[in-house]
Amino acid sequence: MHIPDGFIPLWQCAIYYVILIVAIYFASRWSRENLDEKRIPLMAVLAVGIFAIMTMNIPIPFGTSGHMVGGALVALVFLAPEASVIIFTCILLIQALIFGDGGITVLGANVLNMGIIGGFVGLGTYKALNGVIGKYPSIALVAWLATVIAAIAAAIELAIAGTFPLWIGLTSMVLYHVFIGIIEAALTCIVIFALEKFRPDLLPWNKGA
Amino acid sequence: MSLSKSDKTLIIVAVIICIAIACIAPFLASSNPDGLEKTLEDSNVPEEVATAAVSSPLPHCSFEHLGKIGEIGESIIGIIITLLVAFGISYVIKKRN
Repeated sequence: MHIPDGFIPLWQCAIYYVILIVAIYFASRWSRENLDEKRIPLMAVLAVGIFAIMTMNIPIPFGTSGHMVGGALVALVFLAPEASVIIFTCILLIQALIFGDGGITVLGANVLNMGIIGGFVGLGTYKALNGVIGKYPSIALVAWLATVIAAIAAAIELAIAGTFPLWIGLTSMVLYHVFIGIIEAALTCIVIFALEKFRPDLLPWNKGA
Repeated sequence: MSLSKSDKTLIIVAVIICIAIACIAPFLASSNPDGLEKTLEDSNVPEEVATAAVSSPLPHCSFEHLGKIGEIGESIIGIIITLLVAFGISYVIKKRN
């Protein structure tokens, strides 16, 4: 769901940039207090993993395809949406500047959708659901929800920008990302399961982490 | 920077998995447009609307003549860059004792 340059008028891009700068400020405050050296390899590994996963374009019903996002995954593994902001700002900046994937003027909007919204929706919903339906069902559901809501946000932004009509944007983006979200849910569970098995010390909800 | 053995294993395993994904992805890649592009098609928005603000040093088209190997190479370069940048930024913003 990388929005390219030209899809959002510059004045709106500026507003999304302001949001990004505020998010980066809070994210660096979080990292100054919470990102211990022990978890830096995890940060780097998630960044690289998400970059790699975004290169995979999977066919989805209705003649479309998609890539997974990972905003919920990062927020869950660090129990902080701030971590998601950091990782997605890094990745999207690299993709925009070096590979021309997603625009630089629209960086704010892209980080908002994939990192900020993905992170907050993922973690917030997880905290609400975990006690109710169990850990992995919660993880799966929040990863799916974060993807769908990020897609809704992108559709709304593009409708405000006048690039596509709201109704078509919402129905198309939601429909396609309902399917992409299923794969995202599965992948998020698999990654967290693998971490639990091999490096439980890196997960904040385990004792001794 | 001192990395424990299990950290080195984590990084090596992750990079190997990422390279594997990068190698498989061009073959799995759907020729279907992605969700956002398909929505544009659905709304009849012309492709020319997307105009890059900055020309990137390694846009997809520079590797097109190399085909799948080019795509894999591009992804691997990206993996290395992302790993280094992520480590770098994390070290700059990490917890101060």
